[in-house]
Amino acid sequence: MADNTKQRRSTLDPAVADLLKGMQQKQNEAQLPRKERERISRERAKIQSRRDMRATYDLPPAIRESIRSLAEELRLPASQLVTLALARFLSDYEIGSIDLGQYKQPSRSPRYDWNLVFPDEITRTGKKRKGG
Amino acid sequence: MIIFAFANQKGGVGKTTTAVTLADGLARLKMRTLLVDLDPQGHLALSFGLEKSPGLYRLVCLEEPLDELVQHVRPNLDLLPGDKQTEKVKRQITLSDFRESILSDLLHATDYEVVLLDMAPSLDVLHINGLIAADWVVIPTRMDALAVDGVKEILTTLAEIGRSGHHYRGYSILPTFFDRTTRETFLQFEEITRIFGVNVWPPVPQDTRVRETVAYGQTLWDYSPFSTAIKGFRDGKQRLGGYHQVLGKMLEVING
Repeated sequence: MADNTKQRRSTLDPAVADLLKGMQQKQNEAQLPRKERERISRERAKIQSRRDMRATYDLPPAIRESIRSLAEELRLPASQLVTLALARFLSDYEIGSIDLGQYKQPSRSPRYDWNLVFPDEITRTGKKRKGG
Repeated sequence: MIIFAFANQKGGVGKTTTAVTLADGLARLKMRTLLVDLDPQGHLALSFGLEKSPGLYRLVCLEEPLDELVQHVRPNLDLLPGDKQTEKVKRQITLSDFRESILSDLLHATDYEVVLLDMAPSLDVLHINGLIAADWVVIPTRMDALAVDGVKEILTTLAEIGRSGHHYRGYSILPTFFDRTTRETFLQFEEITRIFGVNVWPPVPQDTRVRETVAYGQTLWDYSPFSTAIKGFRDGKQRLGGYHQVLGKMLEVING
């Protein structure tokens, strides 16, 4: 019986394979009817326009879950809630009403000088959220 | 030491630009690099904003020491230039004993970490000398039928040299002037990747900046370090191809 855990070895350089795949996709699209090509083109433009808005951060699972459930409850996109939260934080930080000093601890990483170490009530803060 | 030859019997495929860009890239990584012009057109010197001079002729025919002939064009990068007198080198080699290995012997007596040979688009005794001196052959090619035929020709020559006892560590095919929007590029690219597999390196995008660099006597790293030819095609968050990735492939070869 075939061993499904084994992966076939790629016979192409990964960058070459990705490029070839993209070109193949474009060639296939070129064969489609005009309306279909226009629809794909619109979708691609939409995805590209959103690309600069994408960000990846590590968040405590409880906060992520709180954002998700609040967004669901209020029936609005989670990204917009996070945007508002971050904008409020940056504004508060700018006027000096937030002090990071109380959370700062030296980092051993060569990349950073400091880490922020949060008390449990912050990373689990979502659980205490009041209805709104 | 490792010696790379940039060869394709077809002209105008980007051998010189590729050799210059990668040599400068290696030098910037602090590798002691020598770039040798085996082409009587002598265009390597022009690429660095210098005059052509008969460096190779004086090395092989007049037996002058290499360190007096090289030009220090960048930190860690020396150039052995050439000019039309390189033609006389061919005659000299033809009349010599052990003629196939003359260049190899001269280069292996030096202490450079990497040597890059910019070969002429021809198949003569100097070309064979370059291929015999090389450990790894990089074959730049445009994605058109004639240039791809040039790849097959050079591989046939490598196989013949291999049969006479010379051992290559490997070869790579480097697509240049790559325009991913045309059907012809796609068809040729699909064909060479199907035939040559991992031997095909990530392509160098078509980029006007490359042509402009020569006019300014600068390398691409100086003139336009964020150009598409250096950074590759944008594909989502990643980049595909470009001299930066090609340099990475060379380092994989150098580091074994």
